[in-house]
Amino acid sequence: MALNLTRRKFLQTASLAAATAAMSGCFANRATASTPFVKKPFTAPGSFADTTTAVGGVCEMCFWRCQLVGKVRDGKLVKLEGNPKSIDNGVSICARGNGGVKLLYDPDRLKFPMKNVGKRGAPEWKRISWDEALDECATKLKAVIDKYGPHGIAIFPHGSSAKYPMTFFEHVIGTPNNSEASFFQCRGIRDMAYVATLDTAPDENVDMANAKVIFLLGTHLGENIHVSHVKRYLKGLENGAKLVVVDPRFSASAAKAHTWVKIKPGTDTAFLLAMMNHLIKTGKYNKAYVEANGAGFDKFKAGISHATLDWAAKICDIPARQIKEVAELLAANAPNVSIHPGRHVSWYGNDFQRQRSLACLTGLLGAIGVKGGFVKGKGPKVGKSGWPKVNVEHAEAHALHLMAKKHQFSPPGTPTDMIRETAVSGKPYAIKGYVGWGQNPIQTIPDQALTIKMLQQMDFVMVCDVMPTDITMYADILLPESSYLERYDMIKTGTQWDLSGKQEQYITARMPLVSPTAADHERKDSVWIVNELAKRMGYGQHIPVQSELEMTNKILAGANLSVEQLVKEGGIHVQPGVDPYGAVLKVNFFSQEVADAGFPGVPTYIPVPEPPKGFARLVYGRAPVHTFNRSMNNAWLMNEMPENPVWLNDESAKKMGLKDGDRIELVNQDGVKSETSSVVKVTPGIRKDTIYMAHGYGTKNPAMTVGVGKGIDDQSLITAKAVDPETGAHGMRNNFVKFVKNGKVLSIPA
Amino acid sequence: MWHLGRGASFVNDTFQPPPHARLMNQSTSTNLAEIYRFLAQSMRYPSPDWMQADYFSALNTFLVELGWDGEAQTIRRAISEGADWLEPLQVEHTRLFVNAVPCVVAPPYGSVYLSADGMLYGPSAEKAKAFYREQGFDLAGEADIPDHLTFELEFLALLAEEGKDQEEELFLQNHFRPWFPHFQARVLQKGRHPFYGVLVNLIDFFTREEM
Ligand code: SF4
Repeated sequence: MALNLTRRKFLQTASLAAATAAMSGCFANRATASTPFVKKPFTAPGSFADTTTAVGGVCEMCFWRCQLVGKVRDGKLVKLEGNPKSIDNGVSICARGNGGVKLLYDPDRLKFPMKNVGKRGAPEWKRISWDEALDECATKLKAVIDKYGPHGIAIFPHGSSAKYPMTFFEHVIGTPNNSEASFFQCRGIRDMAYVATLDTAPDENVDMANAKVIFLLGTHLGENIHVSHVKRYLKGLENGAKLVVVDPRFSASAAKAHTWVKIKPGTDTAFLLAMMNHLIKTGKYNKAYVEANGAGFDKFKAGISHATLDWAAKICDIPARQIKEVAELLAANAPNVSIHPGRHVSWYGNDFQRQRSLACLTGLLGAIGVKGGFVKGKGPKVGKSGWPKVNVEHAEAHALHLMAKKHQFSPPGTPTDMIRETAVSGKPYAIKGYVGWGQNPIQTIPDQALTIKMLQQMDFVMVCDVMPTDITMYADILLPESSYLERYDMIKTGTQWDLSGKQEQYITARMPLVSPTAADHERKDSVWIVNELAKRMGYGQHIPVQSELEMTNKILAGANLSVEQLVKEGGIHVQPGVDPYGAVLKVNFFSQEVADAGFPGVPTYIPVPEPPKGFARLVYGRAPVHTFNRSMNNAWLMNEMPENPVWLNDESAKKMGLKDGDRIELVNQDGVKSETSSVVKVTPGIRKDTIYMAHGYGTKNPAMTVGVGKGIDDQSLITAKAVDPETGAHGMRNNFVKFVKNGKVLSIPA
Repeated sequence: MWHLGRGASFVNDTFQPPPHARLMNQSTSTNLAEIYRFLAQSMRYPSPDWMQADYFSALNTFLVELGWDGEAQTIRRAISEGADWLEPLQVEHTRLFVNAVPCVVAPPYGSVYLSADGMLYGPSAEKAKAFYREQGFDLAGEADIPDHLTFELEFLALLAEEGKDQEEELFLQNHFRPWFPHFQARVLQKGRHPFYGVLVNLIDFFTREEM
């Protein structure tokens, strides 16, 4: 470079003309627009600075789907608030809901379709066009179908926008291999157990706001926040409800409880059986309800008669007196008691029986259809839209659990573990195409090594997501989806949050709060993406709707509504509702169906593995500011809780020489060590045989520049997997850990 | 002489400025506008739409006229000798500016470097947008992130074209220079292909403060 040549000097030299003349010619026939600007006369400041309110937002920072409005200033989303028209969450949203703004403007968000020109797991990305990406996905997926059949494809979906692709692959392509994390690693067990007992999936439908007693088993409301759910809970407490919390840890709920049952993890079913046996033996159950609506009660009664207070006290490591007290408290206030069904219940691999027990306890107390009991709000009806069921017979004929006559109570789809085993072994057939949509199985499914093995043996891996989560590192083609703040994708209906309030129903649709298109990215919504894929794969004739907007309008039309009308009504349509009380449900205390499938027809306690000497059981839960891995790259939320302290009993800590705040790692029973570290939280509020931490930390993906390596990833330590035999869902709390400090392994005293 | 490696669709040996360019009696401002546009385009995704022999030829002339012979040679070598010259550039662009493992190296947005939380569309981006407005310009897309590098360079081109020297300097001083050096440093530090290193230095040369 010539010394001392400055811009000014250069611009004055004669060589400038030669240089710029070449420039002006070289783009003469380029296709791209030359300027991203338009001329616009300047108007006085203030006229454009006004903030407008965009309505119709539905939060997706967790699955609760609070209704939002967006404050938009000049095209920029500045703030999210609860929609004042909401009769559900109202004007309130939680910290994560607020943090949605940060997701929208995260520099690490996926922006363009990308092709992996490196290796799976160690990708090198090359931005490509949508045409190229879709052509490649279509060709590769079609090749899998042609060679191995439709069942050669597995789909791992999550979230409302994944429903359209999921049903395309299930109904049109005809693969049964669909693993929904929200079923198989979360609530599927609960839903199937309640269906077997009460013939209905419970969701979280207990009328806590009007209960005299609230009974939580493992549920830690306060740390686990869903706005209207917590509103019900707090209203109940405000109205004087007694709170019973069964948890090995002094959780946020336990802190508010009248009775904290410091139970030994894995033994909850024994506790529930003993309470029920006690109530039956002493005649304190709701005889009228049971006589009118109970089925198989005598078999049930005989089947649990061994479950004495002392028997359970020993198993659960709690006083017999406390079991009796809780049972009698529930009976004394029945039927107005909320036996919470829980939500994330895939714990120990004996979970179906525990969830059956909870449903039976609900029935035994007659706590159904009454104030404070198990009550489902009566929501409004809307229309339908979706893919036609073109090839479902093929899917059913190739469903792995049906072929193997296993897991007869599997939630819809195929148990994750069977998909993974089949993919790795090739038996009974090959699974060679992976389609991921919004799910991060690296962090949701135990035994990461096996998941990676499954991915490595695929012929093709396609992933569509909003953020570069761990799974995206394994994609061959990675597609960027518009976020929940920029798209239409679901209809949400419901009732007022307090079931005893003025009876109302609402209908809302997720609508974009800001434009999904901008010059610096090419994100698309799932309807567009899947339609384009379908056309290229030769299924174009089955496409049910041309756009996400059309789909939304079609469903709304079933309620004589439209997006336009919803906007006019402030984003939410509210109409008179129906009194939800008075419903009666039949209770299958003994289930013939369960017995016929070869499982215990009477709820049964099945012991789980004990911690080996020197180890304690690893349990995990929610943090109020996070929704697992999904919020880990959110700068605002990470700032609130940058790592996940590991809870350790204070007496154990003393013996181990650990102090509060010490930096530690964990090592599990299989010798797997956490790749990252965290701090110890020393507390009397946890049992000695239990270690606790919040889930979702310690992401391995360095593309998540905020969250990477912060805290410990509990999932990496969950290498021993348990499978719930009835449902095929995972149990994730049969893993045991020791501490490591400065490279030294510290055993945990018993 | 300008030879693209295998994979290039044509070779442009004898570059001639188009007639309109030769005939024009260009003022310094128009020249500068041309340069800003050229720089903006250079930072867009490498695509055969625009990245062809005549582009590299222009870049080469530009560098040589500037006296940056070493840089000109480095780029010539990288482009001419690679069997496939385009894909490495695309991979590098994606890694530096879009998404990558271990992490997106240098997001080309001002507020990533200027706001405490490192997010897009921070307060500094809104201020840049307000400045565009004051000068009678608006971004075409409603949700466009205002302080994207190419937007700011295109905007400088518009100001230069209109001969608004003072405004240009004001924009550079208040909106561009506060972040560009941070971005430049990341590209220089983490870049693997010489192209973007030279480009950010070129941008720096035309935007840095002169005593
Ligand atoms: S509870 Fe919070 S994160 Fe969940 S939907 Fe509501 S506002 Fe969003």
